[in-house]
Amino acid sequence: MTQKLQPLLQLKGINKYYGSSHILKDISFDIMDGEFLTLLGPSGCGKTTILRCIAGLEEIDSGDILLNGASIKNLAPNKRNVNTVFQNYALFPHLNVYDNVAYGPRVKKTMSEKVLRERIADVLGLVQMEGYEDRMSHQLSGGQRQRVAIARALINKPDILLLDEPLGALDLKLRKHMQTELAHLQKQAKTTFVYVTHDQEEALNMSDRIVVLHMGEIQQLGNPRDIYNNPKNLFVADFIGDRNIKRVKVLERHDKYAKIQLGSSILGVKCSGSVAGPCDSGETAILAIHMDKMKISCSELSNSLSGQVMSVHYAGSQIKTEISVEDEIITVIEYQNNECDYNVGDKVYVAWEESGAVLLPVEEHAEGGNA
Amino acid sequence: MLNMKRIKQNAPAIPILVWIGLLVGIPLIYVLMLSLLSRDNLGNIVFEFTLDNYRRIFDPVYLKVFLNSFLLATLTGLITLFIGYPVAYFTAGLEPRKRSYAIVLIILPFWISSLLRTYGWIILLGNTGLLNNLLMKLNIINAPLPMMYSFGTVLVGTTYMLIPFMIIAIFNSVDKLDRSLLEASSDLGAGKWRTFFKITLPLTMPGIAGGFTLVFIPSLGMFFISDLLGGGQNIFLGNLINSLVTKGRNRPLASAFSVGMIGLVLLVLFIYSRITKNKKEGLFL
Repeated sequence: MTQKLQPLLQLKGINKYYGSSHILKDISFDIMDGEFLTLLGPSGCGKTTILRCIAGLEEIDSGDILLNGASIKNLAPNKRNVNTVFQNYALFPHLNVYDNVAYGPRVKKTMSEKVLRERIADVLGLVQMEGYEDRMSHQLSGGQRQRVAIARALINKPDILLLDEPLGALDLKLRKHMQTELAHLQKQAKTTFVYVTHDQEEALNMSDRIVVLHMGEIQQLGNPRDIYNNPKNLFVADFIGDRNIKRVKVLERHDKYAKIQLGSSILGVKCSGSVAGPCDSGETAILAIHMDKMKISCSELSNSLSGQVMSVHYAGSQIKTEISVEDEIITVIEYQNNECDYNVGDKVYVAWEESGAVLLPVEEHAEGGNA
Repeated sequence: MLNMKRIKQNAPAIPILVWIGLLVGIPLIYVLMLSLLSRDNLGNIVFEFTLDNYRRIFDPVYLKVFLNSFLLATLTGLITLFIGYPVAYFTAGLEPRKRSYAIVLIILPFWISSLLRTYGWIILLGNTGLLNNLLMKLNIINAPLPMMYSFGTVLVGTTYMLIPFMIIAIFNSVDKLDRSLLEASSDLGAGKWRTFFKITLPLTMPGIAGGFTLVFIPSLGMFFISDLLGGGQNIFLGNLINSLVTKGRNRPLASAFSVGMIGLVLLVLFIYSRITKNKKEGLFL
């Protein structure tokens, strides 16, 4: 039973250089069996490179990659029991859907053509592409190509399925639909997924755990709720969710709570356990508040800021209101059931849920790049 | 009624159409007509319809020339393919700077007259040529090897002359090959050779077919190469037509053979179009 505790895949201190640029900086994390793990970050953060290193399409300069406890870093891609769904799907244009899906098993000669036919029927059923066996890839839509690419990879029963921004080329509606479907498919196929995306919504929607990357470094690793609510640093706070990010001064600290100063207002904020550092009195810190965990009131509330409504935008079910508080602009996202009727120019009060705000340490380099 | 707008829209095409019509269409019709006419003993054209010229293609003497030419063109195509493919594949994989140097080297021979380059082979392969001299000096052979004036010599000449066309055609195909397909093949468990035969080769087939066409067609008609290197021992279609016009004064027969040769070319083009059917890639793209 102890074997179950061993991670399926372990990345240990991986470094990668392209020429003189350091692409991956000491990347280490584990992937558990059956997990849906997402590598999330802006373009150029190294997420695709990590995926390619796992697949064997890129060599690593230092560190090690262990699959089921054994190093695979010196194995060629065709010797690793992982399969990739490429960003552009990379379906073989001269083969039809059936032959594309059959490619892996035929290369490895793992099954007879008769068994193969049944397996292909199964796997095409899984991705809902029955009846398309004779189509060529140019006769398929983007979403269909993606399903075939997943089927072509899954039929090999890989230990891990690597997906490189597979939804990037699809339109918004199809993307949303495929998000649900992919998460469902992952549970059905009982296969470990490592998924690369720059889309935070995708990551939060589908993943069991998320690795947030920036400039080749892991910023935070955790489950979606944790990443969303308790960002470890300014980059994560800024990258995930829509937040108001303000520089504040910590006045005093009482156990888990701190008194901070924003402009001329004095407010109480909860310090999350992991970020005790910036909560110490006298320090400058970053206050990050989810825009949608704030509310606007016409009468004064405790622990609130007062300001003037600058603009109100209606965006579907949401109302996005900008409020100027002294020199700062605070943006609030609310849903259309507000008891307080306000207009541009009115004086209002803004408060927020305790869980919606975090205090973060000031990082000079990160702040400059992402504010 | 003439639609002025349409005429204006298509105006740029008119000079090209006139050009093709005058310089390709009319001569072609002329050749076709000649091939159906007779001649008198002095070689003058007699306006008398006959299919006799075509019948003579099947005369064993001439049929052998046709087969000989077909064999030469096919072999030239195959040899340039087997030498040219690795060269093109390797060149396409080079980094951009080295690659442009390689392409310049491949195209460089075009800057020298092909006639001169053919003479170069005589200097190289002749009985008192460089190669024989060298081998004799090294005492590897006692008497000069007869390397000139054979079918093989002509084949060397056509292969040498036409191989750049093959390389460039395949290079374009390999260059356009989506590298992620090769990665996908490897990812799915295929080794390098398997990936080559299952993915690279089928996907570069348009380049192979294009290169073959570009090599096959000219090697049917390069009479100066077989004149100089074949020494008149091996007669090919190009020489035959050339000598029928210049020496034999039998233009109707020469015309019939020309039409026959065009037939061979059309056959190859037909095969080419079948191979590249449904593929986005064309001969000159």
